Order: sequence, then C-alpha cells, then structure tokens
Amino acid sequence: MNLSMTDSTLIQPLHRATLSNGIVVLVTENPTADIIAARIFIRAGSRWEKPEQAGLTHLLSAVLTKGTETRSSLEIAEQVESVGASLSTDSTTDYFLVSLKSVSADFEEILGLAAELLRSPTFPQQELELERRLTLQAIRSQQEQPFTVAFDQLRHMMYGEHPYALSGLGTEYSVSQLMREDLLEYHRTHFRPDNVIISLSGRIRTEEAITLIEKTLGDWHVPNEPSPTLQLPTIHSTPVCKAIAQETQQSIVMLGYLTPSVVDNSITAMDDFPTTQDYAVLKLINTHLGNGLSSRLFVELREKRGLAYEVSAFYTTRLDKAQFVAYMGTAPENTAIALEGLHSEIDRLSATPLTNNELQTAKNKILGQYALGKQTNAQIAQTYGWYEALGLGIGFDRDFQAQIASITPDLAQAVAQKYLTNPYVSLVGPASAVQELAREF
Amino acid sequence: MSSTLIETAAFPASLTTLRNGLTVIHQQTPATPVASVDVWVKAGAVFEPDEWAGMAHFLEHMIFKGTNNLPPGAFDQEVEFRGGVTNAATSYDYAHYFITTAVQYLDETLPYLAEILLNAAIPDDEFERERDVVLEEIRQSYDNPDCVAFQILSETVYQRHPYGRPILGTEETLAMQTPAQMRAFHRAHYQPANMTVVVVGNLSREAALSLVERTFDSFPSPADWQRFQPEAEPPITHIRRQELCLPRLEQARLMMAWLGPGVDSPLCSLDEQLHNAYGLDLLSVLLAEGRASRLVWELREERNLVQAINSGFSLQRDSGIFTISAWLEPDDLERVEAIICDRLSELASTPVTQAELDRCKRLLCNDYAFSTETPGQLAGLYGYYSIFARPDVVTAYPQRIRAIQAEDIQRLATQYLSPYHYAATIVRPLE
Repeated sequence: MNLSMTDSTLIQPLHRATLSNGIVVLVTENPTADIIAARIFIRAGSRWEKPEQAGLTHLLSAVLTKGTETRSSLEIAEQVESVGASLSTDSTTDYFLVSLKSVSADFEEILGLAAELLRSPTFPQQELELERRLTLQAIRSQQEQPFTVAFDQLRHMMYGEHPYALSGLGTEYSVSQLMREDLLEYHRTHFRPDNVIISLSGRIRTEEAITLIEKTLGDWHVPNEPSPTLQLPTIHSTPVCKAIAQETQQSIVMLGYLTPSVVDNSITAMDDFPTTQDYAVLKLINTHLGNGLSSRLFVELREKRGLAYEVSAFYTTRLDKAQFVAYMGTAPENTAIALEGLHSEIDRLSATPLTNNELQTAKNKILGQYALGKQTNAQIAQTYGWYEALGLGIGFDRDFQAQIASITPDLAQAVAQKYLTNPYVSLVGPASAVQELAREF
Repeated sequence: MSSTLIETAAFPASLTTLRNGLTVIHQQTPATPVASVDVWVKAGAVFEPDEWAGMAHFLEHMIFKGTNNLPPGAFDQEVEFRGGVTNAATSYDYAHYFITTAVQYLDETLPYLAEILLNAAIPDDEFERERDVVLEEIRQSYDNPDCVAFQILSETVYQRHPYGRPILGTEETLAMQTPAQMRAFHRAHYQPANMTVVVVGNLSREAALSLVERTFDSFPSPADWQRFQPEAEPPITHIRRQELCLPRLEQARLMMAWLGPGVDSPLCSLDEQLHNAYGLDLLSVLLAEGRASRLVWELREERNLVQAINSGFSLQRDSGIFTISAWLEPDDLERVEAIICDRLSELASTPVTQAELDRCKRLLCNDYAFSTETPGQLAGLYGYYSIFARPDVVTAYPQRIRAIQAEDIQRLATQYLSPYHYAATIVRPLE
C-alpha cells in the first residue's frame, strides 16, 4: 500500500517572492482560521560563533526584544501582550528565528514591531546583564537532567572544536566574557535584508502580504560589506565510549553516529536510484529504527523485553555534519544489556536488508507524519522558511517526499553500512553501572 | 456573581448518545485531509482504591497489548502502517486514546482502536513484562526534580483525596497488582456510559456515526464494581509546608498551591463553577503569563530574584488546583514567597485596571483560537469537556472570558488565593 495523503496536503498554494533588497517572502494562503503565523529566519546561528564567543547568538536572542531606539522592554512586551499575540526569538545552530502569531487584524502591528526589533535593537546594558545571569543559571541547570548530561557529553565527543559541540547556551566562561560590542557586531554582520527569509501562513492574500512586508522592510538597505563567510573546523570521526558517574535512578545509554548534512550531496551510488541523497535514506532508517510504537527499538527493547519506558532515535537536520542518535533510559542493573541491545539492533540494519513490509511501513510512517507536521499555520510557515534558510529551497518539500518513496531495501542497507557501523557511546548512571562498561566497550 | 446569560457561538459539533449509552461527538472540518479520533474514558486514577494506585495508568499501557484476536503491537502497526500516529494518556479523572490519520484511513484503523479498548485481554505474561516498563517510567520521573517536587506538592494539597496520589503508582503498589484485578477494573470502567468518542475531520456526521456504531458495538458485560467514592478534600486552614533536598540540583524550587473549584461541587451550578474556573485561569495569566505579567515583571525582570516563574489553574472534577512555581536561588526562597503572598493580598484588596483585565482576556481568547486549529486539538478539547462538563460549553469559552469583571477577580482572589492558607513545597540542593 502506498500512502496518498501527501498528494492532497498542499491544498493551499505556496508563493515565493524576492524583494529588491533581497528579502525572500514565502506566503501560504490559508483562510481556515482567523490567524496569521510568521517565521522570520536569519541565516546566522551558533555555527557562526568563534569559540571564545560561544553563546553569543543565544544571548543576542534573549536581549533583542528588550529595547529599541523608541521602545523599552516593558513597552515591547505590553504591545505584544495587549493584543494577545505572541512574538518570540530563538537561536539554533544553523539559523536565528523570530516567531510571530496573532489574529489577522493585529498582524500588521506585530510585524511592524518585529521589523523594528530586527533593524534597530539597542541591547541595553542592564538587560544584557540580566539575561547573562539567567543564561549562566540555565547552563548550570542543564546538569539536572541525566538525558541532557548524556547528550552534552555525546556532542562534545562527536564534534570536538566545532561549534556543534556546545548546547547553544555557550559555556560559563564564554558567556561571562561577552560584551555589548560583541552583540552589536554580530547584529551588524548577520542582520541584513539579503540574509532574511519571511515565511507566513494564514488568513492573508499573497499580494497583501508582499505589500505589507515591502512597506515594513522594503527600505532596509543591504550594507556595502560582502556577506560573511565561514571557516569551520573539520569534523573527524574517532568513535569512543565515555561515562559520567551520577547516582541516578536510571542509566542513560546513548549511541551516536556522524552522518551527512542535509545539504551534503553525497550520494550512495546505486544504479537504480542515483539521485537519492543519503540524508533522505537516513531519515527513513531512523524512522524504522526509533520513531513510534511500531519502531524496531520500541518493539524489541520495550515491548518484548521491558527494558525501557523511553527508547527512541533521532537524526538531526544540519548544515554541517549531523548526528544519528539512538538512546534509552534503563534500570542501572540493565545498563550493559541495554547497550548491547541498542548496538545490535543498529548493527542488524547493516547485516540484513529491511523486508519489503518493513520498508513500506517506514515510508508510510515518515510520509504520513511529515504531512501531519504541516497542520497549523505556525508549522507550515516553519517548514518552508526553514528549507529556504538552509538553502534547500521550497522544492525540497516535494523532492524529499519523492526521494523517500524511491528508496529500496538494498539502498537502505548500503547507507546503513556506510554510516552506522561504529558508534560513539555516552553513558550516564551510577558508577558501578557505567564505569567498568565504558572501559570495556 | 455576574454570571448572566451569555450569548454563545453555535456549537459547531454534534452530540449524540448511541443506544448503548456511548456518547459521540462529531465535527466536519472540510479544509483538512487529516482526521482525529479521541476516545475519553472516565477511568482515571481517582477510580482506584488506595492499594491499587497506578492501575488506571498501567491499564492504559496494557490496552496496547491487544486482545484474543489481536496480538500485542498489532494496533500500533496498523495505524503507523497507514501513516497515522496514536498514543494515550492517563490523568486523575480520565484516560484517553487517540488516532490522527489521513481521513481515508479512518475506516481501516478505528476498528482496531475499538477492539483493543473494548476487549483488552491483559495476558499474564505481557502484564509482567509491561510492569517493568512502568517501573522504568517511575524511575525516569524520580530523576526529574520538577516531577518529584510536584508530586510532593500534590500530596501536601490533597491529604485525603486520591488527587494526592501519584498517577504512576509506586514500586510497592504495582508489585501487588494482578492481571485478574486489572481485568475487573477494565470490565467495570470501559463501558459505553463512561466513554465519549470524538471524531473530527472531513467526513459527514452520518459517516462518522455509522463508523462508531459499527466499531464500538459489542462491549463485554460490565464487571461488578464497588464505586469508590473519593473523600472530599477539606479546605487548607493554615500554611502547609514541605521541604526537601535533592542531589544534583542547580537551583531551588518554590511551588505554592491553593485548592480551587471543581466542576462536581454540590453547592454551585456548573455555570458558576466554570465562571470561577475561568476567572482563576485569568488570574494565572495576570500573575505570570508573558513578560508584562505582574510576577514575571517584578520578580524576573525588575528584581532579578527568579530564573523563571509560572502559574496555572488545573480544572478537575472535584477540587481543582491553582499553582505558582518559581525556579530561583536558595537564598531568595523566603523573600520570593513573601512577595508572592503580598501580591495576592493586593489582588484581594485592589481591583485590577481595565487595561490589565483586557490584556488577560485577549491573551486567553487568542490562546483558545490558537489551540483549535487542527482536528487533533479540537477532538482533545471536546473530549476533555465531555469529562468535566458538557462539550457544548467549549465554544462559549471566549464569551465567558469576556464576561469576567474586575470585581470577579477581586472576589476570586479573596475566596481562593489566601496568603495565609496554602500549601508550599520547597526544594533545595543537597549540600
């Protein structure tokens, strides 16, 4: 059986326009509800941070909404909240994001405010100090959750000197050193119209949306300096196993594999389907392995053996090398069995091709969930804006689904053999459960 | 009490009671290819006797282990093979199970959901194995300081009512349970009169009703059950304080709670209870939603005393619970608690301004609009209200919010949020 929902999900057509200053506008007309959601992407993110400036993007995102030349922090908050809208900022490894949502009638006002924040933030020193303190506390608080501790260790092992090694908050040292001038410089460098994508979805007509954005941001000039370029450390694969001893109730067992970037065109040469990117194949494998109640890890390790409540896998979508991760939490006395179980289920992907039924289930699952992930206006705006920001273009929406549909058992096996053979292992749990095990592995 | 007759938007869904007593709610949403079914069962943790604590939630796990006709995991496989997602959750007053899928696969997947819900086999060997999974779930919650703190808070607030018990149960209570007891619990509670099936998607009422009638048809005969009547929770008459220290904690927690109205109160009408409950929702927004809210602005932004602070009101059948939680440095615990109490006194003595009231109303009304975009959200909302009130009161939400006046807020703060009668849980890092 092949799934047919995805054919009909794009009920609303998507329009793309580029303003004269380079801003890319994506509009999905969706009159169903009296809502407009927008996602403003800036091609920045923590991958642009120098090591000594780790956490800069996050700190900037926290202070960006706290002052402009004409408004104070309280005035900004009151303007948003008095109309019951939402306006938030977020920084990720690969992009910076401003998210807006309001009822249609208030959208122009909220967009105007977002434009002012993007173009003329003042980063008041007092607000910077407040957010710095809160960030330092947040860095320490990450240590409270065993999963976060294990994942943090895994990231460091896999990425070394690359900015992806850090959580995005930075380190206590780097955050304590950041200056207002660093924020201003980062803002000058990256916040420029030819670096901006505005994706919106909701009860608005395309022409109306473009006119509105033109009116609000059309006079934002491209600076004379060329767009910034980036030199990043190379990521070498040197799988190791490390453990952190903590007196927790559960051990966390986590396996990680370095895998291709979403923009990496490396293709596993297969005569039948020469155009399928390894990214799509790994997404499919990940779905089979760790997504949902019928996934391999869930069935084999939870349902049949009762080893875990949470057992799952994810494969990150990144501009640089990505992580393919499988993990579970288990009773300390089961740590070794859990590690062996996760490892052998992943090894089995290389040793034995998926059955036709397994492959079809994985395809239906990933395509079905992909469609279900584009239901709300915010989800729609996010999806297309993200593809544009990563440089994949909105056509990736269609291409990705076509690539998934074309994958064969042989191709999935070949890609598993290429990437999923030698894991990094991160363990967190009581010393007696993890230390010996890490040495032996 | 300003509860006057309220003009409400027409209820866009239909409400039907089938001959066997099952409630069906349906709404057609033409603009989407997605459909959701959410089945709500009055079989939450409050229906357990004390010594069976955790059984309602454990049963929710066991439902997925199949029937005499359907092996464990088969239901998940059928839904996910068609690109759908399914899951379930258990609370004190209910358990619910949902499927979201392309509308054309509803006919093929819903029969499986009905089969596992009606005819759960609860096989002995699966029971033993799944108990280990629930024990892992409990261990995971013990590693989460916020879960631990909230459980202590619940126990402090509800000293008699089962709302004070952990939904997951404990190692001890789980160890004592047997498959036979669980089968009896299931046969007693998973009966049509206790269940609501909500169908939202692009299918007609006729199609939805006929599908539900076909699939939720032959219920097993009900088991006898001594209806366990939870004891009403007496009011909190002083400050009940629980303090604990946890290892690996990087900052302290202050959690404060007050008993609120429940929808089942014998003293008030449903209308009055909802009016009060929504007023408490509004108070939680006024105190701690958004940077301009009173406590966030004062404690986080101006005085830098907390890392974060939030507030919420949780509606329940019996008494609900109003909470304020803060993450902060241990040294600031007493000061922050005192300031919060002071601000609550202010709310009782001084009416809020129109501008502040309007801000809160807009936020709540828009939150409502933002959370009714998808079939899954709508199905969840209708099902939730079918447990707590009547599903047709859902659409009156914005009208009821707009009807709230400054004097209502003052009265509610006086009546419910006393700075002298509350429960507090304080968690400090272990030295």
